Amino acid sequence: MKYAFIFKAVMHSISHRKFSVFTSIFAISAAFAFLAAIGCISFGLAATAVNSSLAFPLVVGPSGASDTTLVMSTLFNTDKPAGTLDYEVAEKLEKDERVSAVFPIARSDSYMGVPITGVESAYINEISKGFWDIDPMIDEKDIFGGKNSDCAVIGAKAAMRYDMSVWDTFFGSHGTVGDEDAHVHDFKYKVCAILKPLNGPEDFAIFTSLKSVWEIHKHGHHHHHHHEDAEDEEHDHEHHEAEHEEHEHHHHEAEHEEHGHHHEHAEEEEHSSEGKITAVLVKTKNPVFTAALEREYSENGLTSATDTGRTVRKLMSYMNKAEEAAGFFSYGTLFLVMILVFVTILSSINERKREMALMRTLGIGKLPISLMIFLELFFISVFGIVVGTLGGHLLLAFCKPALDFELGINLEPFFFTGIELHGMIWTMIAAFVLSLAAMGKIYRMNLVEEIAKE
Amino acid sequence: MASFEKISVKNLTKSFGNADGGRTTIFENITFELDSGAILRLSGASGSGKTTFMNVMSGLIKPDSGSVFFGNTDITRLKESEKDRFRAENIGYIFQTFNLLSPFSVIENVYAPLAFAGKLSGNYKDKALESLNKVGMKELAAKKPYHLSVGQKQRVAAARVLFADPPLVFADEPTASLDRNSSELVKNTLLELNKNGTTLVLTSHDTIFDDIKPDIDFNLETGVLS
Repeated sequence: MKYAFIFKAVMHSISHRKFSVFTSIFAISAAFAFLAAIGCISFGLAATAVNSSLAFPLVVGPSGASDTTLVMSTLFNTDKPAGTLDYEVAEKLEKDERVSAVFPIARSDSYMGVPITGVESAYINEISKGFWDIDPMIDEKDIFGGKNSDCAVIGAKAAMRYDMSVWDTFFGSHGTVGDEDAHVHDFKYKVCAILKPLNGPEDFAIFTSLKSVWEIHKHGHHHHHHHEDAEDEEHDHEHHEAEHEEHEHHHHEAEHEEHGHHHEHAEEEEHSSEGKITAVLVKTKNPVFTAALEREYSENGLTSATDTGRTVRKLMSYMNKAEEAAGFFSYGTLFLVMILVFVTILSSINERKREMALMRTLGIGKLPISLMIFLELFFISVFGIVVGTLGGHLLLAFCKPALDFELGINLEPFFFTGIELHGMIWTMIAAFVLSLAAMGKIYRMNLVEEIAKE
Repeated sequence: MASFEKISVKNLTKSFGNADGGRTTIFENITFELDSGAILRLSGASGSGKTTFMNVMSGLIKPDSGSVFFGNTDITRLKESEKDRFRAENIGYIFQTFNLLSPFSVIENVYAPLAFAGKLSGNYKDKALESLNKVGMKELAAKKPYHLSVGQKQRVAAARVLFADPPLVFADEPTASLDRNSSELVKNTLLELNKNGTTLVLTSHDTIFDDIKPDIDFNLETGVLS
């Protein structure tokens, strides 16, 4: 009975201070919702990165490319490729017994900020989870086969953002995303298929055939430069030239002569890019082979290679630092919120002094009265934690489709992360200590004497 | 009802500190004995210390010196928890205002002090309703205090005293701001309790109590006991 009365008094006090209680609970909830979001989003990013690294354990790129550049420019489409390498590298890898599949890719162009990547049909088969729409005349297992080298397969997010549909056509801009010297090609792409969302960087990408990439760069094509600073391009071209001289220069020159193309632009490319790719994504038969191949293709002086798993882990450790920093910021906010709740409760004690004095007069002890204050602060804290955690996760679940799509990650809205657990533990400790402090203050007060003095 | 044969107040002194660092003496070296079932009337102007005297007598405020014996028990020497239990079991209060605890319903206010003390018996709800019935408040048993008028709150406080049937009741201006009927009801409740042996400590400026002859009249303003 006694504890039922205490509980009733606590609930009454909470329900009669709606605004301050709501503000307190909202502040705690918001901090916990933020923690839930940090945890789930960083977990989603990590899971997406790990999935990508599992899909393609090895990336082989041009000589001198850093591990991060190799991974970022291939799996995440967020960095420029470091140069080119010969298609023969992919052919050689394909013949290697330690390799189960190779996916050569050539990135150079973009459309409205969306990277265009030249791939083979096998790559589309590898990543695809089906199509939102596809040209019925196209063999979906060999999308770029036959005369379909001008086909473009559009990632779901890119298609939605630019309202692209099957049979639409567009011109790519030369230069990867972020290049200032972008110029428009005459080569017309035709949208053949729209991929279903993959919750990864592929959603904001355009895939076309390797052949089309080579075609564009072989022709020297019409392009309309917008750039003022051609340093980057010059650098790339020098690099290409050097490689050409070493490997294929004569072959390409012969082709140029045979085709007899007319170059209308003063800055036309002086070499052919046929047979050039920017990287090879490799599936190995086991991790030991991955390590061996990485070593071999890094030490041959012609290419560089990276174990994507290791590089992703390295990137993750940087990301974890960002998560930790955000976590500390949230913990700091939570601490301030708890102090605010504490001060609110203390000020409410003054408002309730008379009632507490009446309780004391009626023989209700100091301990039950202090316990009421303790429980009040503790309930508000716990309620805030529960509402914030549940609300945060429910909100994430509600926003999952949009977040997955926008962030390109596979969000697990109900994944409970360590950052939340730490937040909970520290908040509970803070709530307990502050509740004890409030309880102690009430316990030491002689309420009747204080009122008598007034 | 628990009981004690007499209340002995010995050399009771209380003062409060002033803002200027000095002290104001409220009462000094007060000594008297009050038999069980007697009436003590505290008189004097507002601010003369009547309520403070009641609070010191009931152990809510510590005196500067002196003691208050209820039988053999000196309440000034008890621990806080023992004082709480003593008040819950032996003392009933009716105040001018602020008699009820807002979290609880009317009937819960009647039995709350004994519930906190863990002293409720099996049929406590019936007994509480009976007490409320005596002061005409049975119909409002389930209401919260904020639904009641000042007079109704006083009557519930009277019902609380009836329910606990304590050996001592402090009534501090119990009929101030009440209409005549409510005042009569509260007065009759107090007299009924006194007739059954309850000691009454009363402060009131209400002429309705003028026909009551106190055993001791203590004027806090003059410090005269008569």
